[in-house]
Amino acid sequence: MVLVLAIGDLHIPHRASDLPPKFKSMLVPGKIQHIICTGNLSVKEVHDYLKSLCPDLHVTRGEYDEDSRYLETKTLTIGQFKLGICHGHQVIPWGDLDSLAMLQRQLDVDILVTGHTHQFKAYKHEGGVVINPGSATGAYSSFTYDVNPSFVLMDIDGLRVVVYVYELIDGEVKVDKIDFKKTATTRSAH
Amino acid sequence: MLKGKLKLSAKAPRVFPDRIGSLVSGFDDKEDENGESDSALDFESGEELEILQPSGAGSGREIEDGYVDIMEGQLESRVRQRSEKDGSGLVSVKEVIAADEKRSDLEYELSQKEINLEKLQRIADSGLPEGRGLRATTWKQLLLGYLPPSRDLWEKELTENRQKYAKLKEELLLSPSEFTRIKEEALDSNEQNADSDVDGPLRRQEISHEDHPLSSGKASVWHQYFQHIEIAEQIDRDLQRTHPDMKFFSGDTSFSRKHREAMRNILRLFAKLNPAIRYVQGMNEVLAPIYYVFSTDPDEQNAANAEADSFSCFVRLLSDSVDHFCQQLDNSSVGILSTLSRLAELLKANDEELWRHLEFTNKIKPQFYAFRWITLLLTQEFNFQSILRIWDSLLSNPFGVQDMLLRVCCAMLLCMKSRLLTGDFVANLKLLQHYPDINIEHLLLVARDLSPDTSSYRLSP
Repeated sequence: MVLVLAIGDLHIPHRASDLPPKFKSMLVPGKIQHIICTGNLSVKEVHDYLKSLCPDLHVTRGEYDEDSRYLETKTLTIGQFKLGICHGHQVIPWGDLDSLAMLQRQLDVDILVTGHTHQFKAYKHEGGVVINPGSATGAYSSFTYDVNPSFVLMDIDGLRVVVYVYELIDGEVKVDKIDFKKTATTRSAH
Repeated sequence: MLKGKLKLSAKAPRVFPDRIGSLVSGFDDKEDENGESDSALDFESGEELEILQPSGAGSGREIEDGYVDIMEGQLESRVRQRSEKDGSGLVSVKEVIAADEKRSDLEYELSQKEINLEKLQRIADSGLPEGRGLRATTWKQLLLGYLPPSRDLWEKELTENRQKYAKLKEELLLSPSEFTRIKEEALDSNEQNADSDVDGPLRRQEISHEDHPLSSGKASVWHQYFQHIEIAEQIDRDLQRTHPDMKFFSGDTSFSRKHREAMRNILRLFAKLNPAIRYVQGMNEVLAPIYYVFSTDPDEQNAANAEADSFSCFVRLLSDSVDHFCQQLDNSSVGILSTLSRLAELLKANDEELWRHLEFTNKIKPQFYAFRWITLLLTQEFNFQSILRIWDSLLSNPFGVQDMLLRVCCAMLLCMKSRLLTGDFVANLKLLQHYPDINIEHLLLVARDLSPDTSSYRLSP
């Protein structure tokens, strides 16, 4: 039972000042084993804050990140799953599923976590799963100002992933659950 | 006095000097005949062996002079196995015969249809023999009230309790992921992940009002799990430190890890079932002798179920002293402070001079040294074998464990009287907090002979 937090596009301090208080009160140290951050934090203070939640932090570079040492893409293996991280502004058209699927095949991962669109998405496409945790602060995106703060918590348990989606809609935290099992046929063979 | 521990293979040759002649070798044969040494060798290799303490002047035993001269010379180098019956130093044929008698007495008692509790208690009080699982059976069955006196019911009780334990484990030690999965499977067994093969957005299920990992509701399985993790970590840390000198508990072998795992389950379960006291540092020490005795039972079935049996007995044992662990009850009439003052009263009643010296001259309060003695049932003050022997008496006392415990504590003070009277605050505190080795039989004798003040301190609700 491994808890992985997928979060990103906070854009602190440029587009937002902080996480919503309801999110902040839920994210306490000691519960989460890994944090995957899609990028655009954008300053070191946010990095330190996330590090305090969990020492195992993986960040990829977004176009507004002030730390230029983050990688463009990252892969890691947690339990039976291979996860890939990429901010997503590099994949054009932005948010296009086929292009993301290309990236997924390139990285050879089961679950690809990307951001940039500031919109939560969980898709099964061409043998892999794409998860977009959205923006944790609800910062405006390149397309729209109408963004609900959201982040994702994955519970990886053997061959099964339970994805908990936390969204702040009208001031209330809404939690959704998605179940996903890895089977032998999930990965498309080439 | 020589005391040390050597790690030798379990089949270390016994160095018996030929000079002693037939007497000792006669003893040797006797031991082999009993087959007892074999059962004691059921431990995995590498069990530690103790160098005997040559009983010197302070033992208070009747010893034939001839023996003393010869023996003392040889004892320094002899290594005995733990099958030494009553933990004292000397080999004497008389003792062996006495021990044998005791064993057969005990076996006779245990084989009765209806166990005579009193008789058993009396035998146990004089020290239970090692080997053949006698201690395990005795402790389990009657002293801790685990098994009923009627022999026929043993089988039934045992299986029932063991099943209950297995069920408890299942319910309470589950991780929240497994818990939610099982719950789901129970609810919608028809719902399949049919979209496993279909591309597209994954189906979402709204669960805002149900449980999720970041929930902080009291009823949340996740929340309870995280709260419990801290306790589990503490338990783990303590288990690593349990009896580091014993291969049974410490080290990195799968053998010791299995035992630590079992003990961890027991302690975690106990913590979950008792949210008022949860886990307190030191409970692992109280559990250690029980678990050790049960899992070294030569009877395979018993040994395999040692975890379940230890759990039940551990619960029973602690229920006696559970109030000592609860901080809120410290100052109440059932708390630890009241027990400590009872100890002081007992000392006063038996040896006013010593009491006065400690209380007024040294200004040492019982809290400074006896807290650990009482809450941990003396497991931290003596070596493992002595603990087992002392517990034989503690558990067999018809007036209850606490009563005997106070007596033994008082006896510990009395046995050190001469040193205490000449010591100052620092020296005495140091002495009492690192209690020196003494002859256990003597200690228990003194304890038994104390004036029975504690009977008047029976707590009536």
